[in-house]
Amino acid sequence: MMTADRTSLDTTSDDDWLDAAVAADAREHGSSYLDDRGFTARVMNALPAPVAVPRWRKPALVALWSAAALGTATALPGVALDVGREAFRLLAAQPVSLPQIAAVLAAIGVVTWSAAAWALRSD
Amino acid sequence: MASLPDSDAALIARAVVSDDRHAFAELVRRHQSAVRACLRRLTAGHHALADDLAQETFVLAWRHLGSYRQEAKFSTWLYRIATNCWLADARKRKEQLLGDTADDLAEASGTAFAANAAVPDHARGATMKLDLERALAALSEGERAAIVQCYYNDLSHEEAAFVLGMPVGTVKTHVLRGKQKLKMALAAWAPRQDS
Repeated sequence: MMTADRTSLDTTSDDDWLDAAVAADAREHGSSYLDDRGFTARVMNALPAPVAVPRWRKPALVALWSAAALGTATALPGVALDVGREAFRLLAAQPVSLPQIAAVLAAIGVVTWSAAAWALRSD
Repeated sequence: MASLPDSDAALIARAVVSDDRHAFAELVRRHQSAVRACLRRLTAGHHALADDLAQETFVLAWRHLGSYRQEAKFSTWLYRIATNCWLADARKRKEQLLGDTADDLAEASGTAFAANAAVPDHARGATMKLDLERALAALSEGERAAIVQCYYNDLSHEEAAFVLGMPVGTVKTHVLRGKQKLKMALAAWAPRQDS
């Protein structure tokens, strides 16, 4: 029953009888399984009630967001296209050198490896 | 072919992700005996109080299940919650039983059944158990908790330190002091030295 390091650190030869007594009591304590006798049911009854979300909530949210998107698209025709075109024009106008491309790739690599190392870290 | 039972980790994932109460109920069924037995030992055999604290332990476990990071076994994590519940309750009640005075120890020692000669063999085990329970009850909270975690729950010093939220060195000190006090209280049971 007793873990090796604990026994070696805590025990002197004078304590043998005490260790034996405690170990015997612990063995008895560990081997006796306590019947559930409704304990699990009492615990489950004592848990906080689940948060009740009304059934109509999700469809209502989807409908509202759809209406908002449709309204925006109708009220501002062509705006998204114009924004995209201008963004591309601005980017294309920037002169890009090979060292800049290399720096960006290196930065992406560092971020990727750091994220992977963080995700796979062992505590 | 019978399917293998789900692991604790799988049940925890179901409970956290899908709010699956059946999965949590299975976890309670699996660990209730160990948690209740641990609390019975900590409360010095007060079964009703131990069961109340065990119930509180599992309700707290349900509430904080999302924060369980598997840095320790699930049972160890439950022992930690149970021990904290017991400590909070003991402090609230200011249990007289937990007094850590020399008088308590002297009383425990004095009332021990000095049964080496007087008690028949079949009764020796039971009397020793009673004396041990009484002596454990006379230890300080920290000493009793350390002895219960290390000996009765069979945890290593490191695991006990996690459960008790204290440094490993403090756990070792509590165990040593607790054992010295148990030795004093149970002196009547020590084998006689024939010299």
